[in-house]
Amino acid sequence: MAVQTSGLGFVGQSVKRVEDERLLIGAGRYVADVRPEGGLHAAFVRSPIAHGRIVSIDTSEAEALDGVVAVFTGADIVERTNPFVPMLMLPGMYTPLFWAMSDERVRHVGDPVALVVAESRALAEDGAELVVVDYDDLPAVPDMATAMQSHTPQLWEKANGNVLLEAVDTYGEVDQVFARADRVITETFRCQRQANQPMETRGTVVEVDADTGHLTITSATQAPHFLKWAAAALTTKQTARESGQALRGMRERLDAFRSGAGSFFGDNQESLQSQDNRGMVSQLRRDRSLLKHLPGMALGVLSSEDFPTVVCQDIGGGFGSKGSTPREEIAVVAAAKALGRTIQWIEDRVENLLDGGQAREEEFTISMAVDDDGTLRGMRVEADIDHGAYPGFPVGAGITKSMQKVYFPGMYRWEAYEMRSRIIATNKGKHIPYRGPWANETWVRERMLDVVARELGMTPVELRQQNMMGAEDFPTRMVTGPTLDETASTRATLVRALELLDHDQIAQWRAEADAAGRKLGVGIACYHEAAPGPPDFFEALSPGSDLFAQEEAKATVDADGTITVFTSQSPHGQSHETTYAQVAADEFGVDIGDIRVVWGNTDTTRFSFLGTGGSRGGPIGGGAIRKTSRSLREQVVSQAATMLEADPADVTITGGVIHVAGVPSRGLSYAEVAGAAAADQGIEDGAVFEAVESYAGKGDGGWSCATHVAVVDVDLATGQVAIPRYLVVEDCGPIINPAIVDGQVRGGVAQGIGAVFYEHAAYDGDGNMIATTYLDYLVPTSTEIPHIEIDHLETLTPGENDFRGVGEGGMIGSPAALTNAVEDALASLGAEVRDQYLPPSKILELAGVIEPEE
Amino acid sequence: MTTVPIGTETEVTLRVNGEPRTISVEARTDLADALREGAGLTGTHLGCEHGVCGACTVLVDGEPARSCLMLAVSATTHEITTIEGLADGDEMHPVQRAMYEAMSFQCAFCSPGFMMSAVALLDREPNPTVEQIREELSGNLCRCTGYESIVRGVERAAAILRGEG
Repeated sequence: MAVQTSGLGFVGQSVKRVEDERLLIGAGRYVADVRPEGGLHAAFVRSPIAHGRIVSIDTSEAEALDGVVAVFTGADIVERTNPFVPMLMLPGMYTPLFWAMSDERVRHVGDPVALVVAESRALAEDGAELVVVDYDDLPAVPDMATAMQSHTPQLWEKANGNVLLEAVDTYGEVDQVFARADRVITETFRCQRQANQPMETRGTVVEVDADTGHLTITSATQAPHFLKWAAAALTTKQTARESGQALRGMRERLDAFRSGAGSFFGDNQESLQSQDNRGMVSQLRRDRSLLKHLPGMALGVLSSEDFPTVVCQDIGGGFGSKGSTPREEIAVVAAAKALGRTIQWIEDRVENLLDGGQAREEEFTISMAVDDDGTLRGMRVEADIDHGAYPGFPVGAGITKSMQKVYFPGMYRWEAYEMRSRIIATNKGKHIPYRGPWANETWVRERMLDVVARELGMTPVELRQQNMMGAEDFPTRMVTGPTLDETASTRATLVRALELLDHDQIAQWRAEADAAGRKLGVGIACYHEAAPGPPDFFEALSPGSDLFAQEEAKATVDADGTITVFTSQSPHGQSHETTYAQVAADEFGVDIGDIRVVWGNTDTTRFSFLGTGGSRGGPIGGGAIRKTSRSLREQVVSQAATMLEADPADVTITGGVIHVAGVPSRGLSYAEVAGAAAADQGIEDGAVFEAVESYAGKGDGGWSCATHVAVVDVDLATGQVAIPRYLVVEDCGPIINPAIVDGQVRGGVAQGIGAVFYEHAAYDGDGNMIATTYLDYLVPTSTEIPHIEIDHLETLTPGENDFRGVGEGGMIGSPAALTNAVEDALASLGAEVRDQYLPPSKILELAGVIEPEE
Repeated sequence: MTTVPIGTETEVTLRVNGEPRTISVEARTDLADALREGAGLTGTHLGCEHGVCGACTVLVDGEPARSCLMLAVSATTHEITTIEGLADGDEMHPVQRAMYEAMSFQCAFCSPGFMMSAVALLDREPNPTVEQIREELSGNLCRCTGYESIVRGVERAAAILRGEG
């Protein structure tokens, strides 16, 4: 493709995507495109019932089928693996231990109970159909209300009923504030279950080296390093005795282990030591089996001579769902190790809807204590999260709870706030992070503010403006603790959005709609999110969680002058290859085409716990790339200065020429400088200069903020909702690539439109999922998503690194803006919107056109 | 009625991107699997395998078709075009170039299907309105972009094909 030359710098320009040069010609390489010679294929047998005991499994017919190589039952896999252990525990929370496949009990429709390995995927599926499983039904727990009834069976024996967490977080004198306020307004809001649904399902290829047994796992994962260690720890099963024997005299293995995760832990001693141990204490109080499994697992890992290599190539989206290590992937690793053969598993869409991750099914009762003059004073929230059957791994419903706790107050002044949270197990697919895992706090708060405004006789804008903190308040703190600095620009985004709204046009649209028997409404929503946030955000979230804000990058210059940057991110649509080349090219003073971006290989990239997720790619991954590039440039400049007999401070780089400022004619190329250094050091090829730096997130950071405005036009005959205008004013700081940022915002808003009007991961009363195809789970299409208008503020941060995150925001603001707009449209008909999901039938109920369903 | 045991393969010749491809398929093998596994053309993607997402869209005699819903054995009498058949050597097809310039995609897993649908639309209607583009693309699901950048890509492609680009 055309060379994109450097002008004023690449950062800030809509540089065309490097990725597209292969992706658009059909030359991308997604996990299903990886076809190792002689590889086998896996298909899972899954539970058809929501809750039951496995009485027997007969695999003989499947095993007899031509082309079937092996069948593993749940028991076979349990025998070969360790359980998924609790991660990111919270005080008072019980996290069930569970296995890669189920051997005794099934807990949701789709729970994997047998694994068929065959010569083709079709044959593996044929084999799966021949596996006969006899179940003893248990009463299904299809929803949270049933889960908490006293006669309902427990999903997890060692939990407190089906409640896995019950927590209260209090900030300020809540009772006093509520007693003194003029009035208290209380409402209940419900959000339906949704599913992340990337267009590429989950999948993995586990290759076993015939000579060494080394595993190479090519995976569609957002978190390659976590997967590497999860695969190592969960499929290395040794008794303490075996491991002890293997360990004796093998200090080098400990060193090998330390050099892997060790560098990471070394940099994060402080975070690790400040971890909240109360989570572990409450876990062990309920279930000591962790102590039984941990020593064997740890010794198994320590005594291993070799750890898997995880490789990520092109990945077809994730939205959080590929951050969790799939149970199926661990089962496939165990099977590949057992057979010594390469196995590929590509999930189908039905499986992905059943078990690829679900989210957002939460119910909230919220009370706001307010004065009649419109002053917000106190807030109480009760939140119930439907956890489904199994925890996400490593990030489960606990992180949703913690983030909601911190974010709920939003940018408003509160004297006091209290949140009661429960996480409740049900017989459904697992609750995992979905683009802005906490986003329902914004939906509920912003929805509730409209309710309060109406009751007080104010407009939604007046109530927000009266209570929202802004520049004159900073620095200050949220009632939950985190510092708000000038990057907390939510109010500025609101002001800008109001400027951009054409009120006359809206009035005209409203009149036209009324005349035509339709209803027009306007909805506003405001939020801020830690992307990555100030250091004390993580303190407020959970002590030691600043681990998430850490990431290293590596950069090298080879003897031939090639510049390579290595990221620990795992891109799956966010265009890191382009944006990181932009950031690095500006630092190195070269063309974007001179930067090679390497990702996704755990042998060459640095450890990262989360990989890509949490809007971390810009600020944290990008910050690490910039810092590392800067550091490596210094090394190059220092060498060049010697060669040029100049002071390094006088050396600059333009267009790839390293020269004394003002004397570009007497310059050196990267190849010349690296070549000379290589000769000095006796290096023939490979890296001559290398730098590793960490984005530490302990001083930099800041908030990403936005205001969303939705204008909806409701057809009272059909219940269809059109969106004649949708506006986002957002602030993610200085933008690396405007077209890519706009794409992130629009994609997020589209998912929010899906959430409100189309998408429901619905279950019936027996725990059967009833949206298991795209005929029932409705992903919005090009005719449902309108033009989405975007305006940017670019507030700088005070720290060295001023990029801020933008991946999640579109989806955080949109459900609130849309549902507020619907209530505004239907207010004259007495509608009260309390559900996030508003399909046409619900719209007609709200409008009084049809009777509510029983 | 005669029955054929599972796994029985037969050789068929498909005309793909202008070239004959002889590949071994079962009676039940769908066109998508035949293209991906038999012909090694992995640019055609499988998103749902039940005919809704459109990622597997190819052109059959110039008309867009879901290759996950068509049997390979029924494709032998037709001219099949896949994403790999669009470019002219190193030169991207105008639709691909337009999508590059409009930065239409993110993860791009859905992109082959969208581009095949766009090629078919522009072949039939060189001057589509935005509404026509949105209507035509509504058989292809994208989870990343919110569609706007893809619609712009098709508008751009139309301009290039009209000689305005």
